[in-house]
Amino acid sequence: MAKVILTVDDSASVRQMVKFTLSGAGYTVIEAADGNEALEKLTGPVNLVITDLNMPNLDGIGLIRRVRANPALKGVPIIMLTTESQEARKLEGKAAGATGWIVKPFAPQQLLAVVKRVLG
Amino acid sequence: MIDKYKQAFQEEARELLVELEAALLELDQKRDDAEVVGRAFRALHTIKGSGAMFGFDDIAGFAHNLETAFDRLRNGQLAATADLINLSLAAGDQIRTMLDEAAGRGAADQNRSAAILAELRQLTGAGGPQPDGESIRGHAGCPLPDQPVPTPAGVPPEARDWRIRFRPGPNVLLNGTNPLLLLRELRELGPLRIGLDMAAIPSLGEINPEHCYLAWDLVLTTAAAPEAIRDIFIFVEDDCELTVEPALDRDAETSAPGSVAAGESVPARRGVAGLGTSSNLRVSAEKLDQLVNLVGELVTVEARLSEVAGRREDDDIREISEAVGRLTAALRENSMTIRMLPLKTTFERFRRLVHDLGADLHKQVELTTEGAETELDKTVIDHLNDPLVHLIRNSMDHGIETPEARRAAGKRPTGTIHLSAQHSGANVLIRVGDDGRGLDVEAVRVRAIERGLIDSAARLSESEVFSLILAPGFSTAREVTDVSGRGVGLDVVRRGMEKLRGSIDIASKPGEGLTVTLRLPLTLAIIDGLLVRVGDAHFVVPLANSLECVELTRQDIRDAHGKHIASVRGEIIPYIRLSEYFRMETARPEREQIMVVETEHGHYGFVVDEVLGDHQTVIKNLGRLYRNVQVVSGATILGNGTVALILDPHRLVENAVQSMSQNKRSDGWRARRNKSVDRQELKPTNAFVQKGKQNR
Repeated sequence: MAKVILTVDDSASVRQMVKFTLSGAGYTVIEAADGNEALEKLTGPVNLVITDLNMPNLDGIGLIRRVRANPALKGVPIIMLTTESQEARKLEGKAAGATGWIVKPFAPQQLLAVVKRVLG
Repeated sequence: MIDKYKQAFQEEARELLVELEAALLELDQKRDDAEVVGRAFRALHTIKGSGAMFGFDDIAGFAHNLETAFDRLRNGQLAATADLINLSLAAGDQIRTMLDEAAGRGAADQNRSAAILAELRQLTGAGGPQPDGESIRGHAGCPLPDQPVPTPAGVPPEARDWRIRFRPGPNVLLNGTNPLLLLRELRELGPLRIGLDMAAIPSLGEINPEHCYLAWDLVLTTAAAPEAIRDIFIFVEDDCELTVEPALDRDAETSAPGSVAAGESVPARRGVAGLGTSSNLRVSAEKLDQLVNLVGELVTVEARLSEVAGRREDDDIREISEAVGRLTAALRENSMTIRMLPLKTTFERFRRLVHDLGADLHKQVELTTEGAETELDKTVIDHLNDPLVHLIRNSMDHGIETPEARRAAGKRPTGTIHLSAQHSGANVLIRVGDDGRGLDVEAVRVRAIERGLIDSAARLSESEVFSLILAPGFSTAREVTDVSGRGVGLDVVRRGMEKLRGSIDIASKPGEGLTVTLRLPLTLAIIDGLLVRVGDAHFVVPLANSLECVELTRQDIRDAHGKHIASVRGEIIPYIRLSEYFRMETARPEREQIMVVETEHGHYGFVVDEVLGDHQTVIKNLGRLYRNVQVVSGATILGNGTVALILDPHRLVENAVQSMSQNKRSDGWRARRNKSVDRQELKPTNAFVQKGKQNR
């Protein structure tokens, strides 16, 4: 079956863009509006998580920590969406266990290239 | 596909510009309101972000500079001055011009963009915005696939060998990195020779299975720049040993800094920018639903008005009533077309599904579509997706054979699934056909008996047997696969169609394939109908199905020797007398009327007492109790407050024809029919119809 990608972002338009792009490439995309919702969605099968860093409730860094602390989710690639001004946050995310990152804004091809790099 | 997003971006950006303008004007009043600055910043941020995503690089680059300024404003590094606000307003206008240009209206003056940015730099001081939009792309850790990293100007890219040493850190696997994928990506740059270094693997007892102990020595032949090679490892380079060096000789690296356009002063443009240039408007579906509901109410009230006006001998009221009637009809038609969408998007989505399922099932399947431009009510389309997914899955899994089996059967190894849509009166027919192995009538029958769906003595027609596969939990599949076989699929289709007041027909030839036809109403809300009277009851027949109305006299009936046949303009039309069909005890008038209707079975006549005329019909659902009634597709409220049933001519004719042939086929049919409860649930027949038959 198609690989499942979870997009976590409080901005619906970013989620939509991610979903458009990735479902167009044959992935199944599910959505979550913040870290807490993402953790709920992660109880089902997910092959890749793409998360924003700034979100209400549970933010991206918190989400990455929680995922990495969960043995059931071992090795699930996590891509964080950062902006140029968030270098420090990016390092924090990497330390928490993120697999890679995409600097916002990004074009659909860039997203696809990154997803392909970590998911195949 | 991408054009759709571009369109969406255009619309979104225009809305954001309005928002930006509002924020800027507010900021002019309240210079240090952080909330207002935040709003302006977010608007610019989204324009920039989405712009870059959808290929509006110039707009994104332009907005980026403004965004940077507002970021500094937000952080208190910059003060909101009148000049800055005016310049930002001008910049917003410039973005709008750029949007117009992208939409093919007019041309944006690039010098003006440069001038605005130059002035912005002046206002915000050194260390401010970046000179151009180059930073927008190529920062995401991946160069675009179609934009290879540029080689030094003038030198044609020449393939050369690079020696790469890659030793990932021990924890890369835990962080979700798959080194294999990185090697695969490297190979896309050119021929790759791979040497594996296993020296670091400890003895078995000491191995941590979650650690990566491997290292690779690679030689890559590529024309790509070393940056492109390093770029592949960007996510892991901090946690790994990575060296990239030319295997032979070394080229001097050059870089060409971009030149900056000279600034010139920008005359600030004032006044309201032209609004309403967008030719499309996004409206929430909820509002449309409300509109349709209101129009529905209006149509009902209009029916009352015309009823009342018709009774009064008052020309003024009559005239007004007619005018209101015309307007209501126009309004109704208009609000319905707003909700119509082509099926194209829905169809296109299935290409992916077919492709993926084909890969999963190891079958070669090709999807062909026809009539994708057919338009349907949005609500109908929304409910159509699930049933179609299930039908396609069913065809892919059970219908289409493996390439080997197809070859053995003398077919093309690639199977075909054909999706088509076409109008038929007030309905749309959607067909999902495959050229697979088809349905095995006997297997379905056996399975249905096993499951107690039918009596083993039941003699059913082929199409009745096929309809059994729509029962909940029905599956002839030997084993449950990922794709289907749990038997939930076709039940979903059946329930989906019930919800849409549609119907399902299944046709199949063993070895040649299966075609499922979904018959759907064009709209779920309001239709044009012809109001008829039988005794003191009223019925509505969809106008789209009606051909003509003619009189049927006693003489005509005598001429046909009691057979239910009439000659209409030289054509022999079989007819159904509704009063008999529905077993209504009414006196037959001297002159009856035949309504000739068009169905998929040909032309038929419905004999009624009187044809009253056009009726704009607001469709109301019958309650759950009448869910199984097939010949009635709904009800409507008449001007005088009474209820008229809306007939489904196709079903009515089908039912009548079927019951006639079944009555001939078997005398015991009626008894069995009453006994077999399961079957009745499965193939529901109209309560009226049953009464009608017992009467005969």
